[in-house]
Amino acid sequence: MSNIDRRTLVKGSLAAMMAGAAFSRAAFADAEPILLGVSGPLTGPNAQYGTQWKQGFDLALDEIHAAGGINGRKLAYQFEDSQSDPRQSVAIAQKFVSNPAIVLELGDFSSPASMAASPIYQRAGLVQFGFTNSHPDFTKGGDFMWSTSVSQADEQPLLASYAVKRLGLKKLAVLHLNTDWGRTSRDYFVNAAKEYGAEIAVTEGYIAEERDFRSTLVRVRDANPDGLILISYYSDGALIARQARQVGLKQVICAASSVYSPKFLELGGEAVEDVHVGTRYFPEDPRPEVQKFIAGFKKKYNGQEPDAFNAYAYDAMNMAAAVVKIGGTDRKAIRDAFAKVKDVPSVIFGTATFDVATRRVKGAMNAELVVRKGQFALWDGKPT
Amino acid sequence: MSSWLDYTINGLIVGNVYALVAVGLALIFGVSRLINFAQGSIYLVGAYIGWVAVVQLHTPLPLTIIVVAAAAAIVGLIIERFGLRPLQNSVRIAPLLATIGISFVLDQLVMLTFSPNPRALPSQLPDVRFQVGGGTIGPLDLLIAGVGLTSALLLFVFLRYSKLGWAVRAASQDRDAAMQMGVDVNRVNQAVFGIAAALGGVSGMLVGMYYNQIDTAMSLQATLKGVVAEVVGGAGNVPGAVIGSLLLGLVESYGVAVFGTSYRNLFAFLLLVVVLVLRPNGLFASARQAPPEPLTGTFIAPSRPVRIPRWALLLAAASFAVLPFFPVSFYVLQTLINAWLLGMLALSLTLVAGTMGQVSLGHAALLAIGAYTSALLSLTLNVPVGLAIIAGGLMSAALGTLLISPSFRLRGHYVSIATLAIGEIVSLVILNWESVTRGPIGISGIPPLSLFGYDLISPTAIYWFSFAVMVVLALLQGRLLSSHLGRSFRAIRDDDIAARAYGLSLNRYKSLAFIFGGFAAGVSGGIAAHLYSYINHETFNTQQSILALTVVILGGLGNVVGAILGAVALVGLPEVFRIAAEYRILIYGIVLLLLVRFRPQGLLGTI
Repeated sequence: MSNIDRRTLVKGSLAAMMAGAAFSRAAFADAEPILLGVSGPLTGPNAQYGTQWKQGFDLALDEIHAAGGINGRKLAYQFEDSQSDPRQSVAIAQKFVSNPAIVLELGDFSSPASMAASPIYQRAGLVQFGFTNSHPDFTKGGDFMWSTSVSQADEQPLLASYAVKRLGLKKLAVLHLNTDWGRTSRDYFVNAAKEYGAEIAVTEGYIAEERDFRSTLVRVRDANPDGLILISYYSDGALIARQARQVGLKQVICAASSVYSPKFLELGGEAVEDVHVGTRYFPEDPRPEVQKFIAGFKKKYNGQEPDAFNAYAYDAMNMAAAVVKIGGTDRKAIRDAFAKVKDVPSVIFGTATFDVATRRVKGAMNAELVVRKGQFALWDGKPT
Repeated sequence: MSSWLDYTINGLIVGNVYALVAVGLALIFGVSRLINFAQGSIYLVGAYIGWVAVVQLHTPLPLTIIVVAAAAAIVGLIIERFGLRPLQNSVRIAPLLATIGISFVLDQLVMLTFSPNPRALPSQLPDVRFQVGGGTIGPLDLLIAGVGLTSALLLFVFLRYSKLGWAVRAASQDRDAAMQMGVDVNRVNQAVFGIAAALGGVSGMLVGMYYNQIDTAMSLQATLKGVVAEVVGGAGNVPGAVIGSLLLGLVESYGVAVFGTSYRNLFAFLLLVVVLVLRPNGLFASARQAPPEPLTGTFIAPSRPVRIPRWALLLAAASFAVLPFFPVSFYVLQTLINAWLLGMLALSLTLVAGTMGQVSLGHAALLAIGAYTSALLSLTLNVPVGLAIIAGGLMSAALGTLLISPSFRLRGHYVSIATLAIGEIVSLVILNWESVTRGPIGISGIPPLSLFGYDLISPTAIYWFSFAVMVVLALLQGRLLSSHLGRSFRAIRDDDIAARAYGLSLNRYKSLAFIFGGFAAGVSGGIAAHLYSYINHETFNTQQSILALTVVILGGLGNVVGAILGAVALVGLPEVFRIAAEYRILIYGIVLLLLVRFRPQGLLGTI
């Protein structure tokens, strides 16, 4: 982004605005757009994720509008910054539920912020559609809580199978973010890996602000594993990989899909070469929804590669559109539409259908990637 | 055995990184007796200027360092000239708040200019590694060590042998006397801020290169660790800061070695508390050194409080009480509920910080204790919610006072730093004590608020409930302040030696203040837990503690009505600025700075 000339940027967006305006006049004559509320971080320590959401949403909206919108009406979202703070997300929740124009809510990002707002959405009867909420209790908040976040009960066995069955690792060191997500993931991973016959040498949880992993890596080294498992986000994942290589650990590294981002390559540099990543999609994936997403994203954002959070947001907006198409603008009908919606094209799931009992989507796609020459590539089965 | 060598080396390497921030903090503290919370932001600015220089302008390393040092020094000079110098003659606490405001503004400016996405900051040094023990070190480790040690040494020589250095030391010992002797104190301050900022900027850049990663969240962490290292070494003592940093690095590394990664920061903050309790002036303060804080209570200067007539208070309370009968949206009510909850926390803090003079920076811990107690009692033992909240308050009062009691013998800034550490310790214990607190998974499904068997779930009911609780607490506190207890508290704040000579037992009165304050904060946390239905160790974080202190200073220290007014303002302002989207925290920071500038004694004045 920073490399582009400001003038091009202004020209580009002006052109886009004019095109958009002209288009909307033609196609969406007089109807007001259907409004969705988004509660998420735009400032504060998690601000980067809110920015990534926006990119994914905007791309999805462009495509939805190009395809004629929702029954002739546009779809729009109102993004309120919560800083992922429960105090602000509950206020935003009251704001959204008391605005009759809002038919559905997306977010929030962190579990404390999302789940603090759940009772308000549940009582008011507005769907809270949390698409990054992997906390096992999120959808237990009530029948208005739905989530397309990949359940860790689904994802971690896939990663364990990649590490143990495919890569043949027998003794693992697991490093995980010490958050609700990292903890849940670790437990599912450890169970699956043991089931597949691997031994867990050591598990280490670290806090999100941690920068220095050298001493942790000494512990890892002393446990003498043959593989490192990273249940990390891309920035901390890159830090661990770099420091592992710097202190001379040469073991195979295998990381969860949350590191799948061009930033992981940029921040990790040479250290992330040969790192294995279990993901839900990959750039050369022939699936049409993946090709459309990646091509569209690069075109809209000046060649930038999308990452996992962009994909979650893109999928979530498409899901919201599919649901609103069935449910219309009545909040309760929209809740019921989540149970009816079938086989929505999705980057993460291939096609997404909710399991009505858990209000989650099962069966995430699986791709086994490895970093080769500074790029994510499909793993060819060769040992690293 | 070889592992212990590795842990030692790793500890020294990290300590090296902390030293860069700690030296800058020590320098500023040495002269202006100010913990510069903006130091981490200057570090952030330095990292991003370094990124522009390296990635966009492709400058060679020596030139990059010069560019970053110069640019950061300019930022430091601007902060000194426009942020702090106007506050020179106002209350001692005002500059502290100003640095918090400045750090908001700087962090937001960087975030808005460069986006919050992390960036890679490639190292410009050759990638060779030297084998040391079981690990390796690179040229950047040596450069960081070099910069840290050289700057500490240069500063030492500068302070000891140069004329300006003498002026700096004279100003730090006695500002007024130095001025009488013809020292231009402003120039000294300028020099100190310029040097500290240049050092801060360069350290941000080097650390960014070290991890090949810079992002806007790095600022607060840098400040926290820097403050710990600085205080361990002896606040204001530059060589002490370096040794304190190395010690901090070692303790963290050994902590990881023995107990595991998730205990790392626990050891950092325990080290701080232990050092403060055993050697309140830091490890390397010499006996001859002048006491770090003035003996009498100039930390919080009295001012003439704004007298609000009783009828106006009654009118305000009545109008807030009847507000739900008017067509106001639930959003407004919810925002006010947040304000009342923050108000209870502020009542607690204004008592211990304002009336008692113990400026706590770890007050969110009291919320957390109350919230966890109440949530766990009502979930696991089916205690009625109303009783559970009261139990939360009592637990907060008891446990909070017990935890804070080691810091009773400290003064001024040291109390703030000790309480900051205690707050972090509580949060880390919550994270790690899984059998009770459920660790990072947190507690979900907390029952909603209820009273005598009736659930309070509508925003209107919660509004009345929290407002009533806050008003009751405020009335009790007002009563307390006008009794002999309140006068004793203020006597201790204003001059603890005179108070002791008069026969007041300092520890007992401090305990009383924390018991009352802990109860109010615990009740606030308890209500919040039942309101949110889900809490984990992140719900009540350091930002909450800083926010509470901001509220209290803004309202006027010790001022009950001021605390509530401040809470309404600081909850309301970010909501009002919502229209400005990404810019709202920037605007909030600027408003905060303006308030400190023009009303340093707080909106309603210190009582």
